[in-house]
Amino acid sequence: MNNISIKLSELVHGRSGDKGDKINIALICHKRQWLPLLESVITPELLAKWFKGWSEGPFEVFPVYGVGAVNCLIHNVLQGGGTVSKRIDAQGKAVGQVILGVEITIDSKLAKRVGFDPSLP
Amino acid sequence: MNERTIIGGGGGFWGDQTMSPLKLLESADLDYLTIDYLAEVTMSIMHKQLNRNSEAGWATDLKDWLKLGGIGLLRSKNVKLVTNAGGANPHSCASMVLAAASEIGWNDCKVALVIGDDLGEKLSEIAASGAQFTHMYNPSLGSLLDHSSSVVSANAYLGAGAIGRSLERGADIVITGRVADASLIVGCMLHSNGWAKRAEEANLPLCGPIANWGAGNLKESLDIIAGWTVAGHLIECGAQVSGGNSTDWDDIGPLTDVGYPIAEIYPDGRCIITKPNESQGAVTSRTVAEQLLYEIGDPCAYITPDCIVDFSCILLEEIDKDRILVHGAKGIEQTATMKLSASHRDGWMVVSELVAPGPNARKRAENTDFVLRSRLKHLKGMEIHSEYLGDEALIPPALRSNTKNPSEIVIRWVATSMDKSELMEFSRAIAPLVLTGPAGICGYSARARPREILRFFPTLLDRNLVEPQVHIKMMHSWRHDLELRMPWSSDLFFIPLENMAHSEKNIRRSRFAEKILRRLDKAKECELTNE
Repeated sequence: MNNISIKLSELVHGRSGDKGDKINIALICHKRQWLPLLESVITPELLAKWFKGWSEGPFEVFPVYGVGAVNCLIHNVLQGGGTVSKRIDAQGKAVGQVILGVEITIDSKLAKRVGFDPSLP
Repeated sequence: MNERTIIGGGGGFWGDQTMSPLKLLESADLDYLTIDYLAEVTMSIMHKQLNRNSEAGWATDLKDWLKLGGIGLLRSKNVKLVTNAGGANPHSCASMVLAAASEIGWNDCKVALVIGDDLGEKLSEIAASGAQFTHMYNPSLGSLLDHSSSVVSANAYLGAGAIGRSLERGADIVITGRVADASLIVGCMLHSNGWAKRAEEANLPLCGPIANWGAGNLKESLDIIAGWTVAGHLIECGAQVSGGNSTDWDDIGPLTDVGYPIAEIYPDGRCIITKPNESQGAVTSRTVAEQLLYEIGDPCAYITPDCIVDFSCILLEEIDKDRILVHGAKGIEQTATMKLSASHRDGWMVVSELVAPGPNARKRAENTDFVLRSRLKHLKGMEIHSEYLGDEALIPPALRSNTKNPSEIVIRWVATSMDKSELMEFSRAIAPLVLTGPAGICGYSARARPREILRFFPTLLDRNLVEPQVHIKMMHSWRHDLELRMPWSSDLFFIPLENMAHSEKNIRRSRFAEKILRRLDKAKECELTNE
């Protein structure tokens, strides 16, 4: 497999927020047809790795075909919920932007197949 | 009836820009103005305010913009206002609205109260009928009844039905307690599209199922409700759909005068999201997509009191600048349960901050933290959480670079305890660190005061335990005026006019009312002649 490394923000834009003791992070492809590529990268296992230390899960990833996005759901991550969390980002509003700066590894073949070209935003 | 309904979203929570609803009213031609004032925690804060003051416990920002010209604009532009500003005390909120209407001489202003969401007093009664009140997301957290002595608020999320019916009964303004955010918008659509009229004529239950109020078959009706719900979901967070909090913030341009959103909603469930001309911000398929997926769980099952919405195949089309067409939502029948949003007291919390300078900011910060913790280690019931803002505090631990070399750090402590006095001691220990800790620690302000922790406790209730209690109370500005003058007669004046003649007792009452009215007119005449 021929892998290339990109910043997540080259593939998606996003927004995050809270619901009970959960954070949801919506990652929306800049182009809808890139969704298969996004889905190949963002998995519950990856979220488990990223959020280790903040949450033991469960982690869920839901595809949203119409707008070309995935919705990441991180359970038990706000120390009981937005009203009791002691962290500065008590309602998970910042984490969605923070995540966009993370480096991810994509399969270049799949990238080519879905027409992903990181030089074109 | 193929006309679109134009609905504004004047705010996203109690704390959003106070005057945004007024600006939206001024700069757009709306049929309805909706404002969601309630976030998850707002109800518990409002209940605490109500406990201290029987006139408080509602979103007082409403008063500020209504009195600064808002009430006059609602009247002159013939816009109906629908808001959950009533919070924990819809009666006091409505009294204020009626007083504001009276002040500008709007004597036939009709305000509808939608009540029945507040179940705080009825928990044991409902429990007796078999409700378990188990935590909705995490059953291991037990039942709300385990905390019954510390419950601050317990409100059911009501749907759109009673709002539609209030408007159908002639309300100019609808004030509610805990109605689900998007349902405010759906309620307007039930009215403007004749669904509420049909329900009213057939005397169907106030809360629905509203899918039975539609003209077509059930499946069509559900898809329409789903579409309206999506429109509501998109505008209920105010400017978050029109440029605020957008990943594209740097390209969108100044957000100083960001326009609040407008939904042009069609009878078939489609909508166009836009914003006032000349306003700043942007409505693009990107800003709309971000808001569409904001604070949702499974996109195939977004649950509201009105229906379950499948977001997965919704399409967004840019039909013009700042105009996004939204369609493709699918609806599934409402759940048998309703969400009850409760909260209970759970100890105390206090937050303090100090700043550690560089070089070696991280080392200074950690040393300061060590000194503080060592000095307070005799406080056995207290837990301290430390964060180093400016040094990757917002980044999940596994993703941090851990270079630990920021030029300065804000040390932020959050201490919690069931014993408030422990936290007072914690607060007293912060300032001394400036003189007795590592060099250069600064940024001290006043001693922080502990606040009570309100733990949010969502649970599910059988719909049939909630909906029969929901009712509408119509209030009229002229009667309200009388009530202010003669508080002793308040019951009398809240009898809806249309009900007055229905019983002997009410006939007697209405005669009595006429008598008082005549006396009042006389009194008014006297006042005028004496001036």
